[in-house]
Amino acid sequence: MAADNSKSARPRVALFVTCMVDSLYPDVGIATADLLEQHGAEVIFPEGQTCCGQPAFNAGFRRDASKVARHFLDVFWPLVRDGGIDAIVAPSGSCVAMVKHSYDILFADDEDDAYQHKAQEVSRVTYELTQYLVDVLRVDSTGASCTAKLAYHPCCHLLRDLRVDEQPRRLLSHVEGARVVDLPSAEECCGFGGLFAVKNAGISTAMGRRKAHHLSACGAELVAVNDVSCMTQLNGVLLREGHRCRAVHIATVLRKSEAPQGEEPHA
Amino acid sequence: MTASPVPARDEILARLTGYLTPEPPRFRGEAEPLPTVPMTVTGAPSGDATLAAMFGSRLEDVQGTYEIVDRPGDAAEQVAQRIRLWCPPLFDDQPGAPTQVLAWAPDEIGVPNLENRLRESNIELLVPGDLHEAQVRHKAAGLSVGITGVDAAFASTGSVVLASGKGKSRSASLLPLHHLMIVPASRIYPTFEDWLRTLRQAGELENFLRHNAQVAFVTGPSKSADIELNLTLGVHGPKVVHAIVVDDGTPTGS
Amino acid sequence: MLDVHAPFESRVTQALADDHLRTALDRATTRLAERRDLAVAAVDNPALRHEVRAIRQFAITHLPDMLQQLETNLIANGCQVHWARNAAEANDIVRDIARRHGVRRVVKSKSMLTEEIGLNEALETDGIEVVETDLGEYIIQLAHEPPSHILAPVIHKRAEDISDLFQRELGMPPTTDPGVMCATARQELRRKFLQADMGISGGNFAIAETGTICIITNEGNGRMVTSMPRVHVAVVGIEKVVPRVEDAFLLWQATTRNATGQAVSVYFAMCSGPRRPDHADGPQEMHVVLLDNGRSRIIDRGYPDVLLCIRCGACVDVCPVYREIGGHAYGATAYSGPIGAVLTPLLADDPTSVCELPFASSLCGACGEVCPAEIDLPRILLDLRSDMVNAGTSSVLERVAFTSYATGMQKPWRYRALVVVARWATKLLPRNGSGGLTKLLPPLNAWMRTRVFPRFARRSFRRLWRKRSSGRGIEPSR
Repeated sequence: MAADNSKSARPRVALFVTCMVDSLYPDVGIATADLLEQHGAEVIFPEGQTCCGQPAFNAGFRRDASKVARHFLDVFWPLVRDGGIDAIVAPSGSCVAMVKHSYDILFADDEDDAYQHKAQEVSRVTYELTQYLVDVLRVDSTGASCTAKLAYHPCCHLLRDLRVDEQPRRLLSHVEGARVVDLPSAEECCGFGGLFAVKNAGISTAMGRRKAHHLSACGAELVAVNDVSCMTQLNGVLLREGHRCRAVHIATVLRKSEAPQGEEPHA
Repeated sequence: MTASPVPARDEILARLTGYLTPEPPRFRGEAEPLPTVPMTVTGAPSGDATLAAMFGSRLEDVQGTYEIVDRPGDAAEQVAQRIRLWCPPLFDDQPGAPTQVLAWAPDEIGVPNLENRLRESNIELLVPGDLHEAQVRHKAAGLSVGITGVDAAFASTGSVVLASGKGKSRSASLLPLHHLMIVPASRIYPTFEDWLRTLRQAGELENFLRHNAQVAFVTGPSKSADIELNLTLGVHGPKVVHAIVVDDGTPTGS
Repeated sequence: MLDVHAPFESRVTQALADDHLRTALDRATTRLAERRDLAVAAVDNPALRHEVRAIRQFAITHLPDMLQQLETNLIANGCQVHWARNAAEANDIVRDIARRHGVRRVVKSKSMLTEEIGLNEALETDGIEVVETDLGEYIIQLAHEPPSHILAPVIHKRAEDISDLFQRELGMPPTTDPGVMCATARQELRRKFLQADMGISGGNFAIAETGTICIITNEGNGRMVTSMPRVHVAVVGIEKVVPRVEDAFLLWQATTRNATGQAVSVYFAMCSGPRRPDHADGPQEMHVVLLDNGRSRIIDRGYPDVLLCIRCGACVDVCPVYREIGGHAYGATAYSGPIGAVLTPLLADDPTSVCELPFASSLCGACGEVCPAEIDLPRILLDLRSDMVNAGTSSVLERVAFTSYATGMQKPWRYRALVVVARWATKLLPRNGSGGLTKLLPPLNAWMRTRVFPRFARRSFRRLWRKRSSGRGIEPSR
């Protein structure tokens, strides 16, 4: 299903690909761009972008986070101000949550309100990929197919911060040939948590193992997630522990093409 | 005690005032106004059942039991039978020493002809005087049945209100393994909040609490789930709680 | 049991290695969370949360007025009111009352606050026998352990462990039947109740308008402690005050639904003073100790939110971190789980002394979602982390890492260069397991000890994008 193009040209979307996708999982970025284009959006990629600042923010390094966030706004805000784009879309629930909710905290005590204001304007047009596909582009099915037994793990920030859950589930349920299985305790965190994953590596791994155990129990071959950080954690555990299941980013499942391959962190 | 020039009270209050004024504290999240009247949390069950039946069914949900007596005159009989069920007489044909039960004063239990009927079954009510006296306490602690009335009861949860007072010992509903409570149907309210509203409107709520030293809300038998979340009954209070609901034909709250 | 005084890392390692502990935690927290879900689904929970929040927020905002009103009414009811700035003062007050009455035996109902101030130990130095009467608290007292959950203190023990303890300490015949174990404790504790000279309780709520201390229990020990001994002392945190009777009823129901999934607890004892002269039982004296112990300072520290807590434990039961490590890993504190991770540092004289706690969270947000007082726990964890960093608790490595990160991310070219370096560096990593070069980078080493680390892509997205765009004859934007 395509967007309603009758009243205007195709919506222009600035892709915020996120630093992890850019450097570790470029294919997820390509899949994201493909999906947006396939469903009627025009995608631009502002090349000045780097990171949203979340790693430092979550670690308590707010001054450092604020510098990065300012850079993010310096790149994206002019596009919003000039009406050059209709939306900013990222294939990550947590990065979007950072922009939409945490920038407010970050700039609340700023002497100069300029960035607070910019953050609010940018926040208004920023979406997570599946949220944008379903809520704005009115996509019901992406026309993708997949024969694997598929589970869905709702990433914490997407689920609880952005309150996006039904959208990715609906899109996945319409993937042709997919056997979507129920993941037990699906809403439990995978244990990533940024700095937490290394600062509290033992607890983080235990949480990841619990998730891996649930994935095995439900017989999933692939588990779709909306965040490559969670994907990295899950594959990190699944591979090390010798599970058959692989975590994949939802964009690569939803993309209309051949069945997705599990991201192999090691060649 | 710690020697300090400023009394703790004054220092704490001054500190708080300093922290809370003139700027009010900054909470994360929306400021909500204090509700004029807090909401009804647990509503009464819907349906045609009488409040008495609803109360009983909720009490059963929490491991209590109940029966409804249609005529107040029959209540004494039921009380006697219930006690004999819990404490069968040692000898069928010999009277022996009477079975003592820890009780509220008969007036407070509110069952007509109760003492006479119990005497027929060789049952005696022990209404304690001062439970801080070793002898009284020792005697009370050895009894396995307690009988009380209730100040109010609730259809929403199967709870009862037991206010301490003259002739209304706390021990009667606390020490014995079995607690028998006489619940006049007229004292059953749909919800806590209905009862609160009634007392508040009558200007009695404050005094009810302040004059009774302890007002206890009791919902079923004593229980614990501390051992691997296994439900066990009768940890400190009664293990068995039985309500005799007496339908006295008068409307609620009268 | 793990050593609660060991360093955090060591406590966590010990907990993670204890399979019994983790099985027990998993079972218990899952069931508690399920029961809670059902119980809040049966009521208008969003409205309930708003009202809990409103009542608590009103009370905290008006604390000086509320407390003075409470005091006036407690005194009018015949109570003796004491104020304590800190643990030492509170303990001295209670010891003094005990001394005046020649108290030798004390029974206590469950109170996290007295756990917080170490009241038992203080009384024991005077040779007073102190018996915890909540079944769970009694068990851990016998085992000489601190509670591992604010609500279910013995959540970490299996029935077998408790049976062993009762056989050893109480001479119980071998059995794991909870009913028998419970009956054994009943018999033992009943004697204590009848002999005790003094009962000590906490207080879930203190009603300002009537001078009433409310105590929630299921076992009935709350009523026992406040009814059987001649003297009752309630040690109550200053934040527990609520304005009206109706507010206490709302909070009571919110607490029980969120704590155990019950509509209401079995007992709700509302104590307004000593027994009247014509009463058969009840204490002849009732004392109320209003204790600050760092609570007012929490407001000054900018965290009034945590004073809204009604101690239901819902956040603990849904916390995936608590589920892996249990309460003792949070250290020698009465409070564990997400609320413990914020309350313990905020109550401490020096919050940085427990700086690791706010970081021990994946920020999954489950706690904030369930909190009946709508306390934004994830946000508070984040704010505390920032405070800790500003106080200089982070390691040199962390500081260098984030400074470089911020510097790198502010310029796309620096960022690209960083990625190139990272790509080359990770090529040198061992394929599986840690060690070798990863030891140079402790965070990476920590990751790789248990997990596979992904390889950086040969071509970054931006390079693929350029290729894709030029293939279509589109100029890359910017």
